[in-house]
Amino acid sequence: MKDTQSNHRRNFLLAAGLGGAGAVAAVATGRKATQARDKQASAKEAAAEGYRVTDHVRKYYKTTEV
Amino acid sequence: MSARAGIAPVALHRTLAPEEAGRASLYALLARLIHAAPDDALLYRIAQSAPLDPPGDAALARAWEELVAASSVMDADAAGEEHDALFATLGKAAVSRYAGYYTGASAVDHPRVRIRADLAALGLAPRSDATEPEDHFGGLLEAMRVLVAGGAGRAPATIAEQRRFFEAHVDPAASRFFAALASAQASNYYRKVAALGAAFVALESQSFSMD
Repeated sequence: MKDTQSNHRRNFLLAAGLGGAGAVAAVATGRKATQARDKQASAKEAAAEGYRVTDHVRKYYKTTEV
Repeated sequence: MSARAGIAPVALHRTLAPEEAGRASLYALLARLIHAAPDDALLYRIAQSAPLDPPGDAALARAWEELVAASSVMDADAAGEEHDALFATLGKAAVSRYAGYYTGASAVDHPRVRIRADLAALGLAPRSDATEPEDHFGGLLEAMRVLVAGGAGRAPATIAEQRRFFEAHVDPAASRFFAALASAQASNYYRKVAALGAAFVALESQSFSMD
């Protein structure tokens, strides 16, 4: 890679501002963090929306007893 | 994109030069924003980002600054609605994300065929669960990211290889795609994304010619 990459190009990109931490830091870890967050959120939602035996459900069960 | 074992030499623990890391990040960010609207976490991260290193390319620095500012006042719901309005494809999308649309692709000689062949030659294949055709801009920019940064067991591609892929498949359609995105009626946040994309691609085009 080094052999085909001219210093001219490298200096041009650095002068353009691409060597900075700005854009780099913003997104380098973007996808992973998002996925982890989504997983946590959906686990929480699943727990909240999961099946629960409420009074209402208990009443329904009673009506099915023979 | 995933690397095929055995084709690309493995290079572990190789750190990228800062300007190459910057390029990879911009490709990654643009690909991500074209694929889907930013969620709150991504908007927050962009909003917290520093400006580009001075002096900086004027167009790129301004576009980045405006995207950072817009990200701090945007929320994920609004971004999602805008993304749908621009790209959702019930019938004809307001803005096409396919390179072939901008290069007047014909059915018999479609760029998708050449892109697939070129990706394979570079040791890249679309994920087996990928549902988008190869000339989707999100995929093309993601391919560039992998060529620049390497990953999944493959080393970065040479600048010459990057240049060939860029000039054959990204550059011919990019400025028209970003212009269409910037001028679409529903475009608001994505106007900033389009400006960043246009400035970055112009920079890439210029830098490749310096080799």
